[in-house]
Amino acid sequence: MIKLIAAIKKEALILLRDRVGLAVLFLMPMILIFVMTLIQDSAFKSLNERGIPIIFVDDDKDTLGISIEQGLRNSGMCTFNNTIDGVPATAETIEKAVSDGKFLVGIVVPKGATAAIRNNVQLLVQETMGVEEATAKSDSVEIKIYIDPITKKSFLTSVTSSLREFISEIKTKIMFQTFSKQIEELIPDKKNAPGNAFNQSQIIKYKEVYASRQIGEIVPNAVQHNVPAWAIFAMFFIVLPLAGSMVKEKSEGSVLRLQTIPTSYLIFLLGKIKVYIAVCLIQFALMLSVGMIFLPMLGLPTLVIGNSISGILLLSIATALAATGYGVMVGTIAKTEQQGAIVGSLTVLLLSAIGGVWVPTYVMPELMRNISVISPLNWSLDGFYELFLRGGGVADIAMDSLKLVFFFVITILVSLIINRYKRKI
Amino acid sequence: MTIEPIIQIKSLCKTFKGNDVSAVNEISLLVNKNEIFGLLGPNGAGKTTTISILCGLYTATSGRVTIDGKDVETDIDSIKQIIGVVPQDIALYPTLSAKENLNFYGTMYGLSGKLLKDKIAFWLDNFGLTEAANKKVSTYSGGMKRRVNLIAGILHNPKILFLDEPTVGVDVQSRNVIIEHLKEINKAGTTIIYTSHHMEEAEHFCSRVAIIDYGKIIAEGSPTELIKSNPNCSNLETVFLHLTKRKLRD
Ligand SMILES: Nc1ncnc2c1ncn2[C@@H]1O[C@H](COP(=O)(O)OP(=O)(O)OP(=O)(O)O)[C@@H](O)[C@H]1O
Ligand SMILES: [Mg+2]
Repeated sequence: MIKLIAAIKKEALILLRDRVGLAVLFLMPMILIFVMTLIQDSAFKSLNERGIPIIFVDDDKDTLGISIEQGLRNSGMCTFNNTIDGVPATAETIEKAVSDGKFLVGIVVPKGATAAIRNNVQLLVQETMGVEEATAKSDSVEIKIYIDPITKKSFLTSVTSSLREFISEIKTKIMFQTFSKQIEELIPDKKNAPGNAFNQSQIIKYKEVYASRQIGEIVPNAVQHNVPAWAIFAMFFIVLPLAGSMVKEKSEGSVLRLQTIPTSYLIFLLGKIKVYIAVCLIQFALMLSVGMIFLPMLGLPTLVIGNSISGILLLSIATALAATGYGVMVGTIAKTEQQGAIVGSLTVLLLSAIGGVWVPTYVMPELMRNISVISPLNWSLDGFYELFLRGGGVADIAMDSLKLVFFFVITILVSLIINRYKRKI
Repeated sequence: MTIEPIIQIKSLCKTFKGNDVSAVNEISLLVNKNEIFGLLGPNGAGKTTTISILCGLYTATSGRVTIDGKDVETDIDSIKQIIGVVPQDIALYPTLSAKENLNFYGTMYGLSGKLLKDKIAFWLDNFGLTEAANKKVSTYSGGMKRRVNLIAGILHNPKILFLDEPTVGVDVQSRNVIIEHLKEINKAGTTIIYTSHHMEEAEHFCSRVAIIDYGKIIAEGSPTELIKSNPNCSNLETVFLHLTKRKLRD
C-alpha cells in the first residue's frame, strides 16, 4: 500500500512538472470542443432547425408542381429555393448545384406530370363510369430527386414519403374533380357540388418526435454531440503522455532499476493508472463545464446532461479505464518515444473517426456504422448519447461500461504479458 | 576474512538474439562473502551483460548462477531482496529532485517512514548533496547524478551490491568520497561486485579482480598476484594492457 502511494506520488509529480504536457492534456480538448462546436453548429442547425436547403424546379407548372412547391414552402423542414445564385434553376443545372453542395436535395417535377396523372385518372373514371370510347392512354412520369450524399437518411425518407403523399393527394384531388365534373353533367344543380372542399387543409399532419424516454424532446445538436465526443477523444489522447512517460522510463533506466527491486511491476503500473484516471476524470469534468457554462456564453445551446449522475460517473470512469489501459499497452509495445507518439496518436485518431467522434455515426453509411462498433470510443459515445439525449440511466449504459472495463482488463493483461516476454532477452 | 562463496558462476554464456558472437562466453567465477570483486575489461567485454544476468535482468543462454545459495533462474524474487544494483547508465527521474527519487526507490525497496527519511538524509549528507537535495536531478552535474544514482542502490543496506562503473565521469574529489564510502559499506558486511575502466582505482579498491575480454576470463586473482605473475608489469594497468593488447574495441 505504501509502495502504491509512492508510485502514485512519483507519477503525479512527474506529470505536474510537465507543463507543456499538461497544457496539451487540458487545453487542447477544450479548444477542440469550441472550434468543432462552432463549425458544426450551423451544419447541425441546417439539419434540425432551419431545415435542409432544397432546390426545386417546376417544369410541370400545373397542379402537381404548384402544390409540391407550396408543400415544401410551408413544411418548415427545409428552406425552399428555385434559383441557383440568382439564376432560375433548370433540370440541367440542378444536378451540378447539388453535387457542388449548394443544396442537400434537388427536386425536378417534369413537364406534363399533372397531365399524366390527369390522363391516368381519366382512364380510371372512364372505365368506372363505363364510358365507351376510352380516349385517354396510360402514361408515366418521373419526378427526379438529387441527393447530396451527406443528407441524413431519416430526412431523405421523410422527403420522399412527403412527395409520395403529395402525388397521391393530387391524384385523389384530380380524381375527385373529374368525378364531380361527370356528376355535374348528370346533376345540373351546382349548389350542392362538393367543389373545393379539398383545398381547405391537409387532413393528416405529421410531426417528428425524437424518441426520448424522460426528457422529452432533446434534438442532437452540435453541443450534445461535440462535448461528449471530444471529451472522450481527450481522455483517449492521454495515450500520448502516458505511453511517452512509459517509454521515457525505459530509456531513462528507471524500469531497469525497478526490475532489480523486489516490487511487482503491477504496483508500479497501478500507480500510473490511478494518476492517469484522475487526469481523465478532471478532463471530463472540465469538458462538461465547457458545455454547460462556456458554450452558452457564445450563444450556443447549453449541454443537457440528462439526469443520471451515477450513470455519468460510471461511464466516465469506465472510459478513463479503457483509455489508460490503451495508453499502457502502447507504452509497453513502443520502443521509442516517437514510436509511441505516432502509434498512439494515429490509432486514437483512427478509432475516434471510426467511433463517430468527428462525424456522428448516425449520419454514417451503413457499412461504417457497422464498423464503428469495434471502437471503444464508440462504446463510450453511445453510452453518453444514451445518458444525454435519451435520458437513460445506469442500466442503459451498463453494457457499454462493461465493454470498456473489459477492454481495460485485456490491454493490461496484454501489457503484462508483453513485458514479461520482453525481459527474457 | 571468511572464505565462503556467496556468488557461484558456472560456464555462463549469453548470446543476444540476432548476434552470432557471444557477449559472455563460458565464464566461471566464485565471489566470496565480504569481497570487493572487480570485473575489468575493455569496452564490450561483457561486464554489464554478466552483471545483468546476475541480478536477473537478462536470462542466460546457458550456464548456472547461484547467489547466496539460490538459483537466479528460479529464485530471482528472493535474490532481489538481498541485492542492490547501481546501473552503468544513470537511472533516475530527471524531473524529480534527488530526495523525491530516493523516496520513491527507497519505498519500492520496502523502506518507509522515519527510517527512510533518516537514511536519505544520511547519504545525501555523506555525498555532499544536502544543499541540492530539492533541486531537479536534470539540473545536476554528471558527478552529482552519479552520486544520487549510487545512493538509490545502497539505501536498503543490501547484502550484495552490484556496481557497474560507479565512478565513471566523476572528478577526483567525488571519486575519493565514493570509494571511501564503498569501503565502509563493505566493512559493514556488504559484498561488492564492481566494474571499472579505471585500473588504478581498481588496484587499490578490489580484493580480487577478473579481467575479461571478448566474453572470456583471461586472468583472475588479487591485484598484487596479477602484477607479480606478469613480468615487466608494475601496476594493474600495465597488466591489463599486456593481457588485452592495444587494439581498439567496439
Ligand atoms: N541488449 C543487447 N542486445 C544485443 N547486444 C548487446 C546487448 N547488450 C550488450 N550487447 C553486446 O554484448 C557485448 C557486451 O556488452 P556489455 O555491455 O556487456 O559490455 P561491457 O563490458 O559492459 O562494455 P562497457 O565497458 O563499454 O560498458 C557487446 O558486444 C554489446 O554490443
Ligand atoms: Mg558496461
